[in-house]
Amino acid sequence: MSVDLLVPILFNGMSLSAIYILVALGFTLVFGIMRVVNFAHGEFAMMGGFWLLFLLSWLPLTYWVALPLAAVLVGASSLLPEQLVFRRLYGQELPSMIAALGLSVVIAEGAVIVFGVHERNIPSTFQGLFQVGRFTFPEDRLVVMAIALAALAAFWAFVRFTRIGLALRTVAQDREIAEAQGIDTRATYRITFFLATMMAGLGGALFAQIYALSPYMGSVPLMKAFIIVIIGGLGSVPGAALGGVLLGMSESFLATFFGASVAEFASFGAIILLLVLRPWGLLGTPEA
Amino acid sequence: MALRALVASAGAGLRRRRWLWLGALGVLLVAWPIFVHEVFFAYIGTLMLLYTIGAASLHLVLRTGHLSLGHAAFMGLGGYTSALLTTSLGWPFALAFLASGLVPAAVALVVGPIVLRLRGVYFVLITFTLGEVVRLVLNEWQSLTGGADGIFRIPPPSPLLVDKRAYYYFALAMATACVGVIARILSSQTGRYIDAIRESERLAQSSGVPILRFKVMIFAIACGFVGFQGSLLAHFITFVAPGSYTFNESLNLLVMNVIGGMGGLAGPLIGAAFLTALPEFLRGWVELQRALYGVVLVLVMLFVPGGLIEIGRRLLSTGRS
Repeated sequence: MSVDLLVPILFNGMSLSAIYILVALGFTLVFGIMRVVNFAHGEFAMMGGFWLLFLLSWLPLTYWVALPLAAVLVGASSLLPEQLVFRRLYGQELPSMIAALGLSVVIAEGAVIVFGVHERNIPSTFQGLFQVGRFTFPEDRLVVMAIALAALAAFWAFVRFTRIGLALRTVAQDREIAEAQGIDTRATYRITFFLATMMAGLGGALFAQIYALSPYMGSVPLMKAFIIVIIGGLGSVPGAALGGVLLGMSESFLATFFGASVAEFASFGAIILLLVLRPWGLLGTPEA
Repeated sequence: MALRALVASAGAGLRRRRWLWLGALGVLLVAWPIFVHEVFFAYIGTLMLLYTIGAASLHLVLRTGHLSLGHAAFMGLGGYTSALLTTSLGWPFALAFLASGLVPAAVALVVGPIVLRLRGVYFVLITFTLGEVVRLVLNEWQSLTGGADGIFRIPPPSPLLVDKRAYYYFALAMATACVGVIARILSSQTGRYIDAIRESERLAQSSGVPILRFKVMIFAIACGFVGFQGSLLAHFITFVAPGSYTFNESLNLLVMNVIGGMGGLAGPLIGAAFLTALPEFLRGWVELQRALYGVVLVLVMLFVPGGLIEIGRRLLSTGRS
């Protein structure tokens, strides 16, 4: 394989991975800490896309204000369903999952009622090409990668170095012990939900600007998040990063050489194998 | 686990004077087309009856404590089997119908031993994935399945059944037979094994229930029945396409169970009737109706996890006291 072919494939894979990880990270975080399989996660990504469209082209704000603001607005608006729905169902795996399914339908169909079903385009902010030697890279993908990396680094630093981050890690390990230490688990859950949906919103906004924006687009990021967390291990944060890179790269390679449907089959085949042999994923821990 | 509590919570309410109710229901189901002549109602009635088969079959799986999000895939396998055999190979309906149950059941026998080792969330995720795989296969294997367009002009089971009202009675007979068999399974020794497995796999195992073999058997039976529904539905609406068997359809079957109540077989039957009729009468407001659907799902989970059955029982008990 020549370098001319390899570099664009790697580049494409990296930009896919960056968005996938952003979305999957929140999904795995909510499961790891609250034991909720959030079927509405993709819909929060979709909300990010619509907020970005609103802030960027209807208000209009500049990109560097609109994008983070869109993500924060998604996080903030997720606190309502957290308060009304999820809080009552924590600790009940299947009911909370069914409620999340219902919530995802409500949000998606609500968006259809407000915005209509048709696909929209968010005008792209970066259209230039970036030249390195004989390779050219589209600028928008580079920006996406940079933003995703920055967000992931910020998330890591937050969890690693702040007191709230310490509380999150404690609650994830053992809720009862954490409560005995005086950690407010309800507040921790709220923060987790906020962070998770904020990252989903950011990922969704980036995704919607590159591809397309529609009320039903949430199922794609959700599906990717599923695959990634199964690969990496449900609830595992490093697992989500590893899974995201594996999925992004393999999709990029397989889609280039064999077509998109083969790439899809391969990822499904891989996760079925993994679920059978190692249901807790590559970096997860088996449940007792 | 929570599903266990949900299943155990309801169920006993409608047991008294059960035969009386069933008889009245039977008379109603047979008699109403004599008085109401609109084809539209016969059409909805048929859909309701057919969905009771699928919902009741999913109830079997749920009763073992496993939540499947890929049940529509097996409905699709049944529908496509029946459609292909009658159109491409010219098989008579009766044989194609049998095959439409056997093929999904055979597939379930193959994948069952693998997927039923998983529990809880992992089972949900793998059945979700399986559903997607089947949808992809139906979509991509164009030479066999006709790709995204599907298969058209599927003949009715018999020339006599072109009429929608005739098909209604056919569906009534089929649904009664299928649901009857499922009810019989649940009330037999097998049914008690199912409940034992749901309550505690280890305890059931130590009492000599061959867990995995049992779960695979129930799963295969359930998938066979939903395959029957697929076939009956395909010959009723005369076409099949991958779009009919997506995650949404699996979700639909699950929601029927959740809204009706997971405690007993009456739950999915009521849920299927309710959720099939509702959209047909709300045709004008499709988006609103789907959004409401989600709202109802959330509300049921929050306030009446036992479903419509539980609401009915609460109403009855407050009426008495």
